[in-house]
Amino acid sequence: MARMKFLCDADRCIECNACVTACKNEHEVPWGINRRRVVTLNDGKPGERSVSMACMHCTDAPCAAVCPVNCFYTTADAVVLHSKDICIGCGYCFYACPFGAPQYPKVGNFGSRGKMDKCTYCAGGPEADFSTIEYEKYGSNRLAEGKLPLCAEMCSTKALLAGDGEMIAQIYKQRVIKRGYGSGAWGWKTAYRETVAI
Amino acid sequence: MRDDRKDEMGRRHFFRALGGGSVAAAAAITAQPMIATPAQAYDPGAEETKARYRESDHVKAFYRTNGYETLKKN
Repeated sequence: MARMKFLCDADRCIECNACVTACKNEHEVPWGINRRRVVTLNDGKPGERSVSMACMHCTDAPCAAVCPVNCFYTTADAVVLHSKDICIGCGYCFYACPFGAPQYPKVGNFGSRGKMDKCTYCAGGPEADFSTIEYEKYGSNRLAEGKLPLCAEMCSTKALLAGDGEMIAQIYKQRVIKRGYGSGAWGWKTAYRETVAI
Repeated sequence: MRDDRKDEMGRRHFFRALGGGSVAAAAAITAQPMIATPAQAYDPGAEETKARYRESDHVKAFYRTNGYETLKKN
């Protein structure tokens, strides 16, 4: 059985934010919520590195472990999804998640939160596939259409890989063998000698 | 002024009466036997958890274009 995974090739990501924009547009994500975002380390310095981050659909998901109402479930292809009908917006999953994936809409004054929203791996939610209610709550269901998450398909430098974990691992290995990794890929140490640490 | 409202229920009396009522209600609830219900994880059903991924031509094209194989000249 294929296991769905994301892999961001940080040597290729140029922080264009196309993945973020594609996700927001595809799922009509409301203002204030980013299911995906690009994190840049050592911004503006030699050896800076950008990584596109979203829910990583963990095998033993910590969000599911801490949820007091058990709204999370994992599909047969290892996508971690949740039910917004059950979620109470408590915020525990946000503290548990090592990637900061869960997001909450601001629904009122005094910091009141709405139902949690996160990357669905473009696989919708517990409602019937392609139904209006599924789209309104979780966005489009591209996986059921025989497609992959739009963020990966839209990536301008093909940095973000999505799909069967074994397949994308093969693609990444092939890249590393061909071009190297880190300094080997970009030649930072050639340009900046030993003063750069990657 | 104070004598005019003597026959009405005062603020303190009102809360005292309310407190007495709620104690009686709580006692009635605790008198019922407690039935433990097992915790249940959310299960949306087999239909919604089935695998949706399939290696369609669209997906194959994604894999093909992301690999270095495309750089190889025929």
